[in-house]
Amino acid sequence: MGIQEQYRSEAAGLLSSGAVKLVIGFGEGSTVERRRPVFVRTPAETERLVLDGGCVANLSTYLLTEGLLSDGKSVAVFLKPDGIRSINILAAEAQLNPEQVVIFGFDIEEGQVRALEGRKASDFAPVIGVAKAAGLSAELQKEAELLDQISAAERFEYWKDQFSKCIKCYACRQVCPMCYCRRCIVDVNQPQWVNTSSHTLGNFEWNIVRAFHLAGRCVACGGCDRSCPVNIPLRLINHRMAKEVLDAFDYYAGECAEQKPVLATFRQDDPETFIL
Amino acid sequence: MIYNPFPMRVVSKREEAPGVRTLKLEFVRQEDHEFFKANYRTGMFGLYGIFGEGESTFCVASPETRKDYIECTFRQSGRVTTTLADADAGDIVTFRGPYGNRFPIEGFEGKNLLFIAGGIALPPTRSVIWSCLDQREKYGNVTIVYGARTVADLVYKHELEEWKHRDDVNLVLTVDPGGETPDWQDHVGFVPSILEKVAPSADNTIAVLCGPPIMIKFTLNALGKLGFNESNVYTTLENRMKCGVGKCGRCNVGSVYICKEGPVFTAAEVSAMPQCDL
Amino acid sequence: MTRILPKNRLDDCIAAWRSAGFSVLAPVRRSDLSRFEEVERSEDMALDLVLTERTIKDHFFPQTEPLIKYSIKKHDIDTQEMVPPERKRVFFGVRPCDASGLAIDDPLFGWDYRDEYWFKRRDNAVIVTIACTTSDDFCMCSSVNLSPDSTKGSDVMLRPLQNGSGWQVEALSDRGNALLGPISSILKEGSDATASTASVPVRFDVDKVMAWLADPASFESHFWKEISVRCIGCGSCTFLCPTCHCFDIQDEGDTYTGIRRKNWDSCSFPMFTMHTSGHNPRNTQSTRWRQRIMHKFNYYRGKFGVNSCSGCGRCTRQCPVDMGITETLQAITNLTK
Repeated sequence: MGIQEQYRSEAAGLLSSGAVKLVIGFGEGSTVERRRPVFVRTPAETERLVLDGGCVANLSTYLLTEGLLSDGKSVAVFLKPDGIRSINILAAEAQLNPEQVVIFGFDIEEGQVRALEGRKASDFAPVIGVAKAAGLSAELQKEAELLDQISAAERFEYWKDQFSKCIKCYACRQVCPMCYCRRCIVDVNQPQWVNTSSHTLGNFEWNIVRAFHLAGRCVACGGCDRSCPVNIPLRLINHRMAKEVLDAFDYYAGECAEQKPVLATFRQDDPETFIL
Repeated sequence: MIYNPFPMRVVSKREEAPGVRTLKLEFVRQEDHEFFKANYRTGMFGLYGIFGEGESTFCVASPETRKDYIECTFRQSGRVTTTLADADAGDIVTFRGPYGNRFPIEGFEGKNLLFIAGGIALPPTRSVIWSCLDQREKYGNVTIVYGARTVADLVYKHELEEWKHRDDVNLVLTVDPGGETPDWQDHVGFVPSILEKVAPSADNTIAVLCGPPIMIKFTLNALGKLGFNESNVYTTLENRMKCGVGKCGRCNVGSVYICKEGPVFTAAEVSAMPQCDL
Repeated sequence: MTRILPKNRLDDCIAAWRSAGFSVLAPVRRSDLSRFEEVERSEDMALDLVLTERTIKDHFFPQTEPLIKYSIKKHDIDTQEMVPPERKRVFFGVRPCDASGLAIDDPLFGWDYRDEYWFKRRDNAVIVTIACTTSDDFCMCSSVNLSPDSTKGSDVMLRPLQNGSGWQVEALSDRGNALLGPISSILKEGSDATASTASVPVRFDVDKVMAWLADPASFESHFWKEISVRCIGCGSCTFLCPTCHCFDIQDEGDTYTGIRRKNWDSCSFPMFTMHTSGHNPRNTQSTRWRQRIMHKFNYYRGKFGVNSCSGCGRCTRQCPVDMGITETLQAITNLTK
């Protein structure tokens, strides 16, 4: 039995025993290649679940749907290691109770799906340990280094050009499990902290505010980058933030549910060169 | 062009109730005033604004029989109303309008009038009330039923006093249970139940009803029990608006654009709308 | 015999229009995004795209548009209306769906109160459309009573020749005719066969959809919750739509000076309809998605006699969670089978 069939049957079991009320997984999309999130509530519907190399989205976002977990019941969700890290962060930030999340863990290597051992977020600590040891994406690092090679002025022009494309559709925010604020700073108007207009200044404001809010919280799932309808390389910004916190604080976001948020904690040996 | 407002000078402001103010505005430019005089009819609304903050939508609270100025009454709640509330005599604010449809008061002639309002919704009702009282001879009996949460929340207190002493107006005031003061002489109770006690006969009577959605809902029930036909009951709907002229796409209830086809509707028209979109 | 615009004379064509006072805008792929931009040479054009990622709507109803410049004094304000430039523009290589989108929005911006910000641009634009010979899995013009060679909203129609050497030219309006004046010496007579237009399958039954939406019982159907459950509530489908026209008006500046702007807004956002009191008539994503579909295929038609969808398919093509109009309307079609 392949992993897809195995997970389907386990999902059906969880639903029929009442252990979970809902399974959030992947299903067929509008084209052969596309996979879309599906919400399965009955054992029979588990037939719709698909698991293959196209299942790249981080579905943990849906766990924060208003009211979903407030009844104390559990929900099962298909997650890659990045998604599992999101669960850890959300637990650390008191946004959900990880005991209510049953994880169908998987990873994709060269287009092939591999099952990950475990059901609770804490079961996956070894997997995340391996991921941390492997370091940040070498591919992204290479792309980011290209930008480091140009002058600051050129880099500014590069981002100005990229941000000028932004239309403030907020797909990056909406798809992100870390963007759970009930009222985003851009929607606050007394005072109006951030310009609502999507001109270059307003777009800079938005994208930089978001980058800072994600520093030490982003798990590089790539959801914002894939969702951006105008192809802004948001991955590079988030990668840079992740590298900063890793280099400065040896901090890898979402290692476990007990991990303290990097920007909300202090250690004696934190570098403080910017103060002194 | 279309989104350019009229500058208006604040003539005076009045504290109506906690957090509720009335501004009396006069036109800065003659041509704007002429436009307003030619177009304003009771029930229409406008967008009142302060440059730097934005615009906010409320009715024109002054009647179509008094077009030398515009009065608007609003509760200080959001960004624009907070700034408007700070405006003093002599300050410049803006007005865009008048927009929307109106109360067809010619059709009310020869009929008895029943005005029912709750809380901060007296202003739109008041515009019709004065439009009719200023031509008192054209209408039959006039009854005004006005309720607020507390005595302090009643707005236009000086006008309530005036109406109370007029022989040709029957004013019924009520406050919600617990909202009365020791010296309160009028009714205590919610508008729908008070209405059932004091309402005139539904025969040959037009009802104008403005209030928060929950009050409208129960008052419509009460009017139904009293024998009012839904097509003889008028009300106003409000929604968030930005353009006021049928373009920005947010104020619709079902297929009905409040800014263009409203804000005045008969109860029959409101019943035909998808209720969960209200 | 018909008139032919040879591909190898495109640069002459651009030059002729430019010297006649037109700016020429065409599909361009720049900074990893395809869109319409001003071009001076044909080599900058990306005419082989099925569709640009951004619509030409952007050039008529920009994402942010200054309306009024203001400065506030003690007892006075100075305001200056910011009128869009009346620039003569040729949009070359528009797809029929995008051209139709403009025509669909015209009545909205024109009814009763005329929005000059739209019309000053519309009235000075000439739309040169190229019929589609390719399509993708998301195109759905044929489902909304349009087609890969619809002429709606176009001033000139170009039909690609089978041999790839150019386009058959047809003027559809006075403006289109006038545009051919400056290039009359470039056009040649010919009888070359035109390439066959793309075949875009009908993906839903729009008549059934409209009938179902018009039924008052459908408004509160459980269908809306089911179909929109994975919607994340971003605005990308609305902002990339050639017909979505909703906007916000915002002031930006300091205490004394600033600009009042008209900014795109989206029915997907909760803030779109949120009252100051906190009451929100459309307080869930399902009610907002219903609004979008109802607006396009029921309300708009009721007001202006046309559906507010030109079948470009961008809503599905770029949806982060693979939703879109097509899936919803297919599901409605299946409901009523």
